[in-house]
Amino acid sequence: MNRIAIIGGGPAGYVAAITAAQQGKEVTLVVDGPLGGTCLNEGCMPTKSLLESADTYELVKNAGELGIRLPSNSIEIDWEVVQKRKKAIVSTLVQGVHYLMKKNKIKVIQGRASLITNHQLRIENDNKYEEIEASKIIISTGSEPIPLPFAPFDGKWIIHSGQAMSLPSIPTSLLIIGGGVIGCEFASIYSRMGTKVTIVEMGEKLLPGEDEDISGVLHKELESQGVIIHASTSVKDMNTNNKKVFLDKSDGNIDEVHADYVLVSIGRKPRVNGMDLERNGIDFSKHGISVNNQMQTSNSSIYACGDVIGGIQLAHVAFHEGRVAALNACGHKTKVNYRAIPRCIYTSPEIASVGLTETEARNKYGDIKVGEFPFSANGKAVISNKQIGKVKVVVDTQFNEILGFSIVGPHATEIIGQGTVMLHAEITTDIMEDLIAAHPTLSECIHEALLSVSGQAVHT
Amino acid sequence: MAVEVVMPKLGMAMKEGTVSEWSKGVGDTVEKGEAIASINSEKIEMDIESPSEGTILNIAVPEGQGVPPGTVICYIGNPNENVMVNKPVAEEIKPENHKKETPKKTDLPNLPISKNVDRVMITPVARKMAQAANLDIEKIQGTGPGGRITKDDVQKAIKRPESKPENKEDSILIPAQSIEKTQEIPVNGMRKIIATRMQDSLQSSAQLTLTMKADVTALIKLQRQATEIIQKHDDSKLTVTDFVAKAVVHSLKDHPKMNSAYVEDKIHLFEHVHLGLAVALEKGLVVPVIRNADACSLRQISKKGKELAMLAREGQLPSEEMNGSTFTISNLGAYGVEHFTPILNTPETGILGIGSAYDTPLYIEDTLERRTILPLSLTFDHRVLDGAPASAFLQTIKRYLEEPMTMLL
Repeated sequence: MNRIAIIGGGPAGYVAAITAAQQGKEVTLVVDGPLGGTCLNEGCMPTKSLLESADTYELVKNAGELGIRLPSNSIEIDWEVVQKRKKAIVSTLVQGVHYLMKKNKIKVIQGRASLITNHQLRIENDNKYEEIEASKIIISTGSEPIPLPFAPFDGKWIIHSGQAMSLPSIPTSLLIIGGGVIGCEFASIYSRMGTKVTIVEMGEKLLPGEDEDISGVLHKELESQGVIIHASTSVKDMNTNNKKVFLDKSDGNIDEVHADYVLVSIGRKPRVNGMDLERNGIDFSKHGISVNNQMQTSNSSIYACGDVIGGIQLAHVAFHEGRVAALNACGHKTKVNYRAIPRCIYTSPEIASVGLTETEARNKYGDIKVGEFPFSANGKAVISNKQIGKVKVVVDTQFNEILGFSIVGPHATEIIGQGTVMLHAEITTDIMEDLIAAHPTLSECIHEALLSVSGQAVHT
Repeated sequence: MAVEVVMPKLGMAMKEGTVSEWSKGVGDTVEKGEAIASINSEKIEMDIESPSEGTILNIAVPEGQGVPPGTVICYIGNPNENVMVNKPVAEEIKPENHKKETPKKTDLPNLPISKNVDRVMITPVARKMAQAANLDIEKIQGTGPGGRITKDDVQKAIKRPESKPENKEDSILIPAQSIEKTQEIPVNGMRKIIATRMQDSLQSSAQLTLTMKADVTALIKLQRQATEIIQKHDDSKLTVTDFVAKAVVHSLKDHPKMNSAYVEDKIHLFEHVHLGLAVALEKGLVVPVIRNADACSLRQISKKGKELAMLAREGQLPSEEMNGSTFTISNLGAYGVEHFTPILNTPETGILGIGSAYDTPLYIEDTLERRTILPLSLTFDHRVLDGAPASAFLQTIKRYLEEPMTMLL
């Protein structure tokens, strides 16, 4: 029996399937829902499609500044087309994964899988049952939005991110509970399309994982786009009938906010139920399935990867874990490498970071060096009319090791790639001093930030 | 163009081979077909012959280092030729085997070897850290992409003093005051494989040994008679071991559960008997396999066993001939051993140890007779079967040996 069975067809699962097929295994992929998982169907890809529409709307509205005169009162968003385009993009990408499955001779079965033994799966679809055998099983069932404990998703007023991207029209008002990555992205989409957006965040600031000076830039920008942000605030009560949310603010006051929709984006929980994990000796908790650095669970024939193991819930991490899980299931010995994982936030402006934040670096190393370069001093950013934000790099004092990059500003999610390479290759700043960055590009800011660590930045 | 000499693949399962000895050094001229090195892998030892005439320009794999098949082990070409040396890609090798070692120094001057030979792949951060800690980067083992030394590797090396890589074992096994007198023998090649297999065997199965004595007086008589007959045709002879092998094959047919393997929580019963025969070589133990021994006559078993043992002693046995046994026989009779506790050739379920036959007075009915006794030791995997059926199996072997005609008819 040379079969690998994979449960879940998201980024971790389909990459694991292709990797195992490339290793010459017979692969069966059990999918409950469309291929591509959350990322393709109700995560990364459809939200980026909406963002592109919001970006374009904003660009066209400001075209006058670049000398393009447009009849300003006739610029409007055709929501139906925006939705259609989003659906078409999702469909194209899902078809792409179907093609990859076919090309790699991967058998795709629709249904919900549960473990009978560590070599047998039961698949249920429409009350029909099928059993398959496999020498190794990989679990990549992903995650789902966490509801508020006192207010479950109803899909009508209280919605999750998957529903927030398919609203029938652009809402007049939207209250977002949770100012993390997903909350900020939706705030950035809808506020620029004219929705009155309110964000409620329990922590002291938006994007708790990023440095204050980075998230602060976004905070200011969102406010200038009309978003009302309540930090250190929790939701006291919700009234479905009159669509009112009562906020318990840090100053002791109670605020009352009316909203067409309430988007709850307080995190995602691993899908660990309904698979009989316990009976098969697989350790897990509400934080996910426990795995070692080879993605192996406490049952040595079973591997897990992607959001279902908790940890860093990002599609590109899932790709990597899926590959590692599959290679190990095929008899290799490889470990995951979490050395340099970029974190991207698709807001306006974008935020992207890799490695340690300044706060984390100070906690870990004590004394560190920081280099910064503002986009306002970069020619290309000025030309693009996108001068908000900066590149920041943190460096250790002993070896000049580059510990992390944080960028807020234009195309941050693209130029972070340079920082990712530097961290992956464990590069030191002295090596980068005589680097030649193309001019004029936004990338020059990376080089200038590195130079500024030793006070050598040229254009500030 | 320099010719690359690569580590050959000596069998489907071969993952790693070791150069046990370079018979030629850098700068030596070699003829085509001349032996340049001996290598070993999975219980095979063989010589590598030069594929062309020329001069050995570079030795890429030092003695004792394990590399995967296909790795370039040396370059042969014109003496004034430049070689671009690629680092061996060693993904699947255990870490202890791809320590960076500089090629053997030779006294031949000015050999124009590319500088790449000594290049150590290391990340900038790791290099600085190693310098600060005064570590020799040549001695750090890299785990990054393509064997590159990373920050992690250096940090690990700093924590563990580099002079004592086998520190832990040393402190346990050797009393401190005797360290100076100890001779260290690097464990590699066949020794390493045996070490790993034997330890794995004991750790991964539930082994115990039953012993019994078979009265082989009648068998010895039959063996002599049969040998006399056979020797009229050729000069081979039947040994007691041949008879035991035949008895084992018969007994396995009577007790099919013993002809099995325990793999991944399943007992795999084998239809045919592939009999492994342990053969002691100077460098260690090998187990050639008589395939389909259940279809062989006594003479065929005898002949095949001797052929395989001969090939094994000459180091000519292909690894295919050493894999896939379903039951193994080990004979220490020649060393005067009576009973012993053979270690299972995992995943097999049983191994029979043959001891040294001896004569002893024994009561047969009421009379004391001189009888020849053969000690038998059966180790079996208790996960597969229990003591009673294992004893029954051993009993069956004993019965065949005591009534040898039953297995010939």
